[in-house]
Amino acid sequence: MIEFAEWLQATPFSEAIQAAGWLVPLLQSIHILMIGVVFVSILTIALRVLELVRMDQGFADVWRRFAPWMWTGIVVMTLTGALLVAAEPVREFTSTSFWIKMLLLAVGIASAIVFRRSLAPMVLAGDTAHEFSPGIKIGAIATVVLWLAIIFLGRAIAYDVEIWGVLSLSS
Amino acid sequence: MDLTGLVQDIEASVVGEWMRTTVRAVPIVEAIHVMAIAVVFGTILVVDLRLLGVRDTKRPYTQVSRELLVWTWAAFVVAAVTGAMMFAANAMTYYQNTPFRLKLLAIAAAGLNMLVFHFVTGRNVDEWDTERTAPAGGRVAGALSILIWTTVIVLGRWIGFTKGYDFSIPEEVDLDALGSGIDVLLDFGDALPSGAPPSDAAP
Repeated sequence: MIEFAEWLQATPFSEAIQAAGWLVPLLQSIHILMIGVVFVSILTIALRVLELVRMDQGFADVWRRFAPWMWTGIVVMTLTGALLVAAEPVREFTSTSFWIKMLLLAVGIASAIVFRRSLAPMVLAGDTAHEFSPGIKIGAIATVVLWLAIIFLGRAIAYDVEIWGVLSLSS
Repeated sequence: MDLTGLVQDIEASVVGEWMRTTVRAVPIVEAIHVMAIAVVFGTILVVDLRLLGVRDTKRPYTQVSRELLVWTWAAFVVAAVTGAMMFAANAMTYYQNTPFRLKLLAIAAAGLNMLVFHFVTGRNVDEWDTERTAPAGGRVAGALSILIWTTVIVLGRWIGFTKGYDFSIPEEVDLDALGSGIDVLLDFGDALPSGAPPSDAAP
């Protein structure tokens, strides 16, 4: 893996990103802006499942309002994130936080897809009286915690030894 | 008022010292800062898109804004407190950093934009609350808000690439003594030997 990271870091593509000094901060800025879009979209959907916000709207309306922003934001974050990894693959691949983040990200995306597929047609047709099961409500809370952990780990990549000590892959 | 002296005092404060000498303080405080920024930007964007008539057009403007206001302000307070803690760790370096100064100016501009909308252009909100799009003054405020907050975030990242770090884990720190992660993740005790390198304050 480290050989792959070193190879990737030496490719002209990676070196081009590194050479343009403004590109990495720009990509990180876009990445953070999208965190705002995605996290607030997920938070709103989760709070609507918990019946804490937007109770004047059916769940379908809330889902249609925020799901496209969530998915678009996730795609943009994946693209900017991939470019950031390409720019500094050794730093990312030797970071414990990075790998846990990728694992949690996979769980987050998979659970969003499963949740969407589990939505009955009547919910998506705008049944305002629909109430989610306790299991789904717990899942909504867990999803918000999961994405907070993903944000935390993203920031923690830069401080792997400080956070993980001997468990850091770079130590 | 001696601003430089004040900044030096902030750097020498207990909070500044704690930030510099507690190994996990900086990453954890920065991570909370990012979470707070996400909520600030994300919630403001929802309100701005309503002003512009892009989303939530069937809901009254005041309903959209009021239900998010508490989230925006709570997150802003968290961002300000964590930001102040990061500032205290390296106060002189931040103080002399141009992107940092520009970021403070941009936040002030965002506040001014909000005040102008609240007290001038948006005063007649009752007249257009249920309209699909706000009048010109409201649309300008919404567009400016998105632009300014985007600038704030870009400037925040820019600080990280220009200010440099004048403290780090000293060579002599025993990594094993840092513990193995989760069990000590929230242990805020000093893991560094006392006498961590002082930040090179004054130029």
